[in-house]
Amino acid sequence: MRIPSEGSALAMLALPLLPLLGAGTLLFLRGKRSVLPIIALAALLLTLASAVWTALSLPVSGWAWGPILGGRLAVAGLGRMMVILVPAIAAPVVLYASSSNRRDSGFARLLALLLAFVGAMELLVIADDFLALLIGWELVGACSWALIGYEWTDSARPRAALDAFLTTRAGDLGLYIAAAAAFAGTGSFRFDTLPQLHGTTAAIVAGGLLLAAAAKSAQLPFSPWLFRAMLGPTAASALLHSATMVAAGAYALARLAPIIPVPWLAPSIAALGLATALAGGVVAVLQTDLKKALAASTSAQYGLMFVAIGVGVPAAAGMHLATHAAFKALLFLGAGIALHATGTLELSSLRLGRALPLTAITFAIGALALAGVPPLGGAYSKEQIVAAASQTGLFFTAGVTAAASLSALYAGRLALLAFGPDPNRGEVRPPNGAVTASVLLLAGVTLVSSVLWFPGVAASVAELMGGELAIGEGWAAGASLVAIAAAGIACWLLWRRGDLVDFGLSPKVRLPVAEWLGIPLVADMLVKRPVLTLARTLATMDDRIIDAGVRGAARIAGYVSRLFGHSLEQLVDAGVNSLSTATRLVAEASRMADDRGVDATIEGAARGVGAVGTQSRRLQTGLSHQYYLIVAIGTVLLIAIASLEIVATHR
Amino acid sequence: MITVTLFLPLLGALLLVVLPLRGERSLRVAAGLVALAPLVLLMVVWSRFKGTGTFEQIESAPWIPTLGASYMVGVDGLSLALAAMTALLFFAAIIYPVDWRGKPKAYFALFLFLETASLGVFLSLDLLLFYVFWDLSLVGMYFLIGVWGHGEAARRSALKFFLYTLAGSLVMLLGVLSLYLSTAPHTFDMRHLIATRPLDGTGLAATLTFSGFALAFAIKAPLVPFHTWLPPAHVDAPAPASTILAGVLLKMGTYGFVRILLQMMPQTFSRLALPVAILALVSVVYGALVALAQQNVKRRIAYTSVNHMGYAILGIAAAAAILPGLGGGFTQTRSLALTGATVEMVAHGLITGALFLMTGSLWRRADTYEISELGGLARRAPIFTGLAAVAAFASLGLPGLAGFVAEFQIFVGGFPVYPWLIALALLGLIITAALFLNLLQRVFLGPLPERWQEFRDLDRGEIVSLAMLIAFVVVIGVAPGWLLAVIDSFVRPLVTR
Repeated sequence: MRIPSEGSALAMLALPLLPLLGAGTLLFLRGKRSVLPIIALAALLLTLASAVWTALSLPVSGWAWGPILGGRLAVAGLGRMMVILVPAIAAPVVLYASSSNRRDSGFARLLALLLAFVGAMELLVIADDFLALLIGWELVGACSWALIGYEWTDSARPRAALDAFLTTRAGDLGLYIAAAAAFAGTGSFRFDTLPQLHGTTAAIVAGGLLLAAAAKSAQLPFSPWLFRAMLGPTAASALLHSATMVAAGAYALARLAPIIPVPWLAPSIAALGLATALAGGVVAVLQTDLKKALAASTSAQYGLMFVAIGVGVPAAAGMHLATHAAFKALLFLGAGIALHATGTLELSSLRLGRALPLTAITFAIGALALAGVPPLGGAYSKEQIVAAASQTGLFFTAGVTAAASLSALYAGRLALLAFGPDPNRGEVRPPNGAVTASVLLLAGVTLVSSVLWFPGVAASVAELMGGELAIGEGWAAGASLVAIAAAGIACWLLWRRGDLVDFGLSPKVRLPVAEWLGIPLVADMLVKRPVLTLARTLATMDDRIIDAGVRGAARIAGYVSRLFGHSLEQLVDAGVNSLSTATRLVAEASRMADDRGVDATIEGAARGVGAVGTQSRRLQTGLSHQYYLIVAIGTVLLIAIASLEIVATHR
Repeated sequence: MITVTLFLPLLGALLLVVLPLRGERSLRVAAGLVALAPLVLLMVVWSRFKGTGTFEQIESAPWIPTLGASYMVGVDGLSLALAAMTALLFFAAIIYPVDWRGKPKAYFALFLFLETASLGVFLSLDLLLFYVFWDLSLVGMYFLIGVWGHGEAARRSALKFFLYTLAGSLVMLLGVLSLYLSTAPHTFDMRHLIATRPLDGTGLAATLTFSGFALAFAIKAPLVPFHTWLPPAHVDAPAPASTILAGVLLKMGTYGFVRILLQMMPQTFSRLALPVAILALVSVVYGALVALAQQNVKRRIAYTSVNHMGYAILGIAAAAAILPGLGGGFTQTRSLALTGATVEMVAHGLITGALFLMTGSLWRRADTYEISELGGLARRAPIFTGLAAVAAFASLGLPGLAGFVAEFQIFVGGFPVYPWLIALALLGLIITAALFLNLLQRVFLGPLPERWQEFRDLDRGEIVSLAMLIAFVVVIGVAPGWLLAVIDSFVRPLVTR
């Protein structure tokens, strides 16, 4: 690996390496539980410092594996914000895990995996070519597998991890294809050569990238993998949904979609995003498991980011990615506290407002940001997406507005059902100090993001990300705020009527929709089962062929053992005893290359194994020089046969 | 130096037999020391390797001058990489503990004999010598499987393996003859055959010769539908023999594809590359699917070899498909495809070698390979679990580990030539991910059944062997520059010729 002289390039290399090194240290010192959180947090803070440095100095670096193969790294564009965001969100999450999972037997493993997750994501963020991107991309996936299966003694969790990994890896294939096509088109993996692409090659790169991004960011039809991911520990969910893993898809598209010259790419991204935003919104509204509802909302929010990228304003997507990361991590940690307090995530039996007032307030802050209520930062970034959509006309504006009102509806619903007041609720297990501190930190970040509303702040943030925000239509902003307000009122009315949990719908209607519109069932029917059936059929077929062969071999084995009158083991015993004899004979055989000697050899060989003898005789009918040659080959075969034969005579 | 490397194991085998060593322990130490020597010597060879693009450090002696056959050994980037991997794998496999069935002396002697035979295949520069070593390797493996395998079935499996691959080598013999007869004056010198390519082209003789070799190598590699000898041989072989079978013997097939078909008959290969590539693709997908359905740990791993060797041959076929001179753009991708295929040979040797050694540890402790009988072993055997997880992820192609470096290059290099085949071959990545993670989950994760409460973690000897292989898997995955440089010294002249 080439280490550049400039310090900032070193700082950039530290972004993935420091957390990975930290992870290794944690595993090494796994017995000393008290120092583990300190090491983990120190590694993250150092990473954060390096991130700030590189975001200001914009280093470029890389490595060479060989004459053609090499990776390129750079902090550029949206990456300037992302390198900082990842460790900044990870720090409170690790603080939470340090406290709430302290007693787990896998405590060191959890912290190490969270750190490795950060390192892999940082690599993905600083990737400046397809090779580096693919490495980070797959490593992030592997980390999420290990995190989802963290509590591995319960076999449901590793199974869920496998499902999640396979779903996202199906998308990863797109990235392999995109990398291969980009190389075929430009002779390089570098992102800055992408604008040179044209024709089919460009289309393949675009399609592959879209597939990979959709799978990673849990867009349709891949969204259900996020539900499986809910079996991971809370800290893993909080990180996976905010700054790592899911963020990768939107990040890669925001950086690359604008420079890939394919006309259908942008509209496809926008359409896919809008569909997911609406579908995810409906699923989140009808889902009665707190974490699953939050997971569906993640798909929906990333759908909105896809819309922003698709309509040509990636800066708005980047901004929403950042605000979403803070408030979504906050909401997940809140869900974790609820689970810790009551042992359940069922929305019908929570209402922890009176019991956990502080958590209720922080959760409400997160929910208001999710709902898009000004003056929170989440509201600003969502308005920017509405503004971006409004540039393209009524269709996307209406769609985004509808999605925004759905977010308001489910955000309000979750806040009320999970942390609404319940006079009958008794004492519950309260969160401890470190957990509370982590939630307060994230709530603080969510509140601070409100500065986006100050004039000029957002524009400079967008500039930092290398983009510009859209100047939207005034009516669109008004419409979306009205829609959000209407959703809020509807939510309140339903709460008062007591219909907020299931909207009075029968489970028969509600459940299929709440479990991702039946997509998992369809995937099971159309993909998983056929593949497994095909695999079993092929395996059975394969076995039959093999059995036939083995039966044949058994017959020959019987023949051979009759021929020698010995069992194989006795043969070997005897063979070892006379190995020196055999070696001497072989040596002599190869020395005696004259006619007579070789002749005798061939005859010996022919006596030994009938089939080979026939073969030799057939070959012997040729010209005289061929004869010599075959004689020599006979010598070779002799060595194979000699050991058997000599043993036989020896006995 | 190379001659010493080559024959030291054989000499060691003879000494083991002759010397009055008794007891498994002392024999194991002695055999381990002997097996260490070729590894060290090959490191010296590696350090002296200049990468000139031709064969280096050649040693020769007259053998059968009347036939134009001589004893000649030497290395280029391809054979050096494979020989070094072979020596490493043999060392790890020989010191690995198994049930010696009361015949440790014969076991170690045969193993060392097999090492000489295997190294000989990669180091020979004379086609006849190559053929001799090729057949000798069959003999060694036959006895290892037959005698130290599991039960009565092992003998049948061993015999099936022997007959099947012997049939292959007889077909190859015809090819060897055909190549030999096309030279004037007649010679078995592989350097001569590579430089002059006497039987290259589109004629009937060339096509038939190519097909003979291709069949032999397809059996050895193996490619579907010539793979049926492989699963029973693997399942019934003792674990270290499986390691050598998968890690080294299968490579002889892919090595032959490159050394003989690609180097001696490139035009013929170019014309027949598509059928070879299609067979390779079928192996990739079929091998992965059939592996997915296996409920026996060892069978499952065995079938993944079909998948991985399919990748390697797909890369070779892609490199062969386009002749130089059709535009400079393909030089790079051909080079990537062939480099990737070579790295795949090394990576698969190390990764699958490690996986098979682990099945030996499993067998020693649990006496079963049935996935359904296992579970939750991570609680009792964290080190075992960790090493198995790294090997499994390496095999499914996770970046940062050796398999990715190989497969990524094959995909990128093959894509411009066979975009559809490569796209379909990518499906193998998903299926292997499914089958390996499913394996990890069902063997190591979940609740620990009552009967495995006393399951022991790996002991020190096992850890040393495995850690050595895994370390190389990681090093090649993270910083493969040293390996790629050696391989490139061989690939570059070939693709620009």
